[in-house]
Amino acid sequence: MTLKVYCDRMSQPSRAILIFCKMNGIEFEEITINILKGEQHTPEYKVINPMCQVPTIVDGDFTLFESHAILIYLSCKYPGVASHWYPSDLIERAKVHSVLDWHHANLRRGSVGVIINNVMLPLNGVPSNPQAAEEAEKTLEKALTVLETFWLKDGPFLVGRSQPSIADLNLVSEVMELDQLLSKELRDRILSPYKKVLQWVEDTKSATAPHFEEIHGVLFKTGKELREQLASQSGKNE
Amino acid sequence: MALKVYVDRMSQPSRAVLIFCKVNGIDYEEILVDISKHKHVAPEYKAINPMCQVPTVVVDGKFKLFESHAILIYICCAFPGVASHWYPSDPFQRSKIHSVLDWHHSNLRQSAGVLVWNTILAPRHGLPLKHPLVAEESEKLLVRSLSKLEDFWLKDGQFLVVSSQPSIADIRLVCEIMQLELLSEKDYDRILKPYKKVVQWIEDTRRATAPHFDEVHGILFKVQKRLRKRMATEPVNYNHLKSKL
Repeated sequence: MTLKVYCDRMSQPSRAILIFCKMNGIEFEEITINILKGEQHTPEYKVINPMCQVPTIVDGDFTLFESHAILIYLSCKYPGVASHWYPSDLIERAKVHSVLDWHHANLRRGSVGVIINNVMLPLNGVPSNPQAAEEAEKTLEKALTVLETFWLKDGPFLVGRSQPSIADLNLVSEVMELDQLLSKELRDRILSPYKKVLQWVEDTKSATAPHFEEIHGVLFKTGKELREQLASQSGKNE
Repeated sequence: MALKVYVDRMSQPSRAVLIFCKVNGIDYEEILVDISKHKHVAPEYKAINPMCQVPTVVVDGKFKLFESHAILIYICCAFPGVASHWYPSDPFQRSKIHSVLDWHHSNLRQSAGVLVWNTILAPRHGLPLKHPLVAEESEKLLVRSLSKLEDFWLKDGQFLVVSSQPSIADIRLVCEIMQLELLSEKDYDRILKPYKKVVQWIEDTRRATAPHFDEVHGILFKVQKRLRKRMATEPVNYNHLKSKL
């Protein structure tokens, strides 16, 4: 039975899984769960994933969610997956686990908070909580600084590696969400000081071409539409 | 392999690593990094862990590792003699362990500790509180997390993944919930008692890791006793803890 991947290309962790599968020639069926339309909350999807989130994979009788767990499972299951994605050396593997764990409360939390407060809430005409917005931006800036000065200090890729691992896929997808959804002014202020981070995004794109661009296509298109919509909304408010 | 473990026993992930090492008879040196005295931000510790958090392990004086889930997995694989139920080689069981440990970051970890910090520990240390909504939101998230543990993660057995024996996920998540022992007895009972499976699972994990579980939690219970004695003599308004759900 073919692997099923329930995902939304607007979701950062979903994109990491899709790029990984395509890079490694893993056959799968992509089933879109449209987050903006709330499809993750339907009873049919809740049976598959009671947490109502994407991505989820179903491999025969086995259902799995949480993107880091999924990437590790796929790395181990398919013998053709090159070892740089999930190294077998215990120390290298531990470093990959460490940055993936760090990601949850740092880059992920900061990035989601900044996008909610600067993009999602304004788009829906809901005022954002200034304290929450400020905290999210602080968390994100701290995370980007740690990426720039620590996680990327020894190599083109995370944790000093010369080739990408599953961690690079997941974290770069996160940065791409900021890159595409934030206004030019915010993007310049928040992202452009981090030269190593920006180079790492480019290096990961090149290492996973042509799939990176293809999988990010929906984000590029939707991001442009949302930025234009927000710009015209704030133009009307002036 | 020489193992140094930098910890504070008031820290939930620190306790998980200590209990795990003791249960598996792993030789290590415990080095206290006292958070209440800000030792985690001292330059000497920052050189070991630039994130200024505990726990951190240093292996053979060279390899430094932080993030408790990564540490627990590394020790399972690198040290001989660790029983396989802690981190099974079966890919399905192992994936479920990864899945619940990842879920933990944004759910239990974001709620239990945050609630206790905002309502009990920060005032104790004279630190400024975050907006009152933070405590309210963390209680809501805690209730959602406990419900998911009760109805989903614990539905198939006594423990989270390997139904009849604990894994690293059980130690880690139970240590997180133990932080709630710092709440008043009334609030602890109100929040936790509705979740019968969760309460039983805490007890089962404690028994499976005895006597080390109680020994490592010793300082938490000492602090709990002091706090509850003070709460009894200085009534404080904990209205924001009342669940509106």
